[in-house]
Amino acid sequence: MSDRLVLLVEDDPSDVRLIQRAFNKLQTSVPMTRLTNGDDAVAYLSGEGPYENRVAHPLPGLLLLDIKLPRRSGFEVLDWLRKQKTALRRLPVVMLTSSRHSADVNRAYDLGANSYLAKPETPGELDELASRFQSYWFSLNQPPELHGNAGATAR
Amino acid sequence: MGNSPILSSETPAAQPFTDSTIHSHEVFRLLVDAVSDYAIFVLDLDGIIASWNIGAERLNGYKAEEVIGKHFSIFYTEPDIASGKPAHELRIAAEAGRLEDEGWRVRKDGTRFWASVLITSIRDHSGKLIGFGKIIRDLTERRRTDQKYRLLVEQVMDYAIFYMDPTGVIQSWNLGAERLKGYRADEIIGKHFSRFYGHEDRERGLPAHVLGTAAATGHFEGEGWRYRKDGSRFWASVVVTALRDEEGNLYGFSKLTRDMSERKALLDALRQHSEELELRVREREQSNAELEAFSYSVSHDLRAPLRAIAGFAGALSEDYGPKLDDTARDFLNEIISATRRMNSQVQDLLDYGRVGRINMPVEPVNVADVLQEAVRQADVGRDPALIIDVPDGLYVAGYSQVLAQVFFNLISNALKFSSQSARPEVRVWAEEHDGRVRVSIKDNGIGIAPEHQERIWNVFERLHDRAAYPGSGIGLAIVKRAMTRMNGSCGLESALGNGSTFWIELRRALPPGKETRS
Repeated sequence: MSDRLVLLVEDDPSDVRLIQRAFNKLQTSVPMTRLTNGDDAVAYLSGEGPYENRVAHPLPGLLLLDIKLPRRSGFEVLDWLRKQKTALRRLPVVMLTSSRHSADVNRAYDLGANSYLAKPETPGELDELASRFQSYWFSLNQPPELHGNAGATAR
Repeated sequence: MGNSPILSSETPAAQPFTDSTIHSHEVFRLLVDAVSDYAIFVLDLDGIIASWNIGAERLNGYKAEEVIGKHFSIFYTEPDIASGKPAHELRIAAEAGRLEDEGWRVRKDGTRFWASVLITSIRDHSGKLIGFGKIIRDLTERRRTDQKYRLLVEQVMDYAIFYMDPTGVIQSWNLGAERLKGYRADEIIGKHFSRFYGHEDRERGLPAHVLGTAAATGHFEGEGWRYRKDGSRFWASVVVTALRDEEGNLYGFSKLTRDMSERKALLDALRQHSEELELRVREREQSNAELEAFSYSVSHDLRAPLRAIAGFAGALSEDYGPKLDDTARDFLNEIISATRRMNSQVQDLLDYGRVGRINMPVEPVNVADVLQEAVRQADVGRDPALIIDVPDGLYVAGYSQVLAQVFFNLISNALKFSSQSARPEVRVWAEEHDGRVRVSIKDNGIGIAPEHQERIWNVFERLHDRAAYPGSGIGLAIVKRAMTRMNGSCGLESALGNGSTFWIELRRALPPGKETRS
């Protein structure tokens, strides 16, 4: 596992490029793995199929998740994740989506999202998002343990 | 009445002259004398009255001494006498042993009464006819009542009323039945009532079921199609009642049928109408859902390429700006500002659509709170030009989320238009009159000429070029639509060069929890 690894699940290649560019401009780099659909995200997180090798495909420290995705949607991935029996279900999830619909926001939190960000409309805003994101999630925030059985803390 | 022993032809009166019965004969004679509800007397072979009891005196009005020795024809009406009825009746009684009759008879004072008459022949022990016993009962009252009901039933036009024997064979037929079912009495009496039912109902044994239910439970009630003589059908409401005598023996059924075709047609039309309405509501819900999906897709998919254009234009300007000349950088800025405009335009259009579509449950809304929210959204809290003077605790009937958008639009507009004056000033205040609250937003901008004051509320209507006052031209259209949806109103007072005052009005509301009084 890499504490600082962000798993970005985003199907729009333009958004991916702009997001990666914004994060790459930061002084401390944020390693990022990118997947384009919900099924792949589930496979990666479970370490199945092409993602079996955890050395090549380490568990991320945070999931940056779009809602509207091919195959399984971001909601479905989130729902699946929070229903896992292992500690993996604690993985912090930040929604990054163009939807500002309150129905979507509420549903994401209902399903257990840790944060909900709307995709910025301008490059400047995106730069700011990347910088604040990094300082918040990788400096301020205390990450949970993601290995082993969830055991006693299971609800 | 034939059951009663004293009326039977086997009564002791038939053997009055045997010694062994002297005593009982005497008792019996006393009894007959004292009976007051029946006229009981004896006639000789020629019809001369030979005895007279109290009942006879009461009924016919004659005292014994007046009537004994007279011919019994004095009790008959003139037409009956003329037709020889008295003699005829004695003849029948002599031949058959007895005669029962109902008919008009005449009292001493000439009045008539409806009599039930029994004449019995009296023979001695050798079988020789020696006279007649006659028993008369006054049935005038009962006849009147019977007749009233019979007339009532016969004359009822709106209901078919008829009687059936226990097997369902029709015994009577009123005018209503003739009118409803098309058969005359002489055509239908004696026929089975199942002919009123449709083929299918007959096949599945409905007529028998109707009689069975009525016999078992006392009556049957139902609705269904019934058929007329001409084959046409009508929607009938039916009540079948079992008729039983005092001992509980079923002797027939009465059936009451009513034509409910009109009501049925009305109900069917109503049902059909409500089904159509439901269908339309479903269709509308569906089209609303489609619109919702459409706007979702617009906000998500349409903005993605816009974000890419803005993003890459920004990246280009940032990464390669130094290598570009001023014109190229200018072009990039045009691209970036165009995307920004389009973004806000898409957002406004979505808001406009949303305001027309979403549910707006009206609730008490604190105006000051909503204004505060609008100021926060517009991020103009620190703008010195903005002066809000609305007391806390003033409630209106509205929908806070949408009302916040209304204030947001009006305050943003006002700040935008006053920004070019020497000392920008936007004042917001509230007044109350006639149960309504008016919130006004006054700017000291350029003002709006009267000829433009109508059309500024329309979608995409702009009075100024974009360079001077940017905007999508949708903001006021959203305000108007939102106010209409909240049962409020909005308006404008302005003069060119004198600033503008936009206002909205909503019904005043009591704070939440005090909604009992309005």
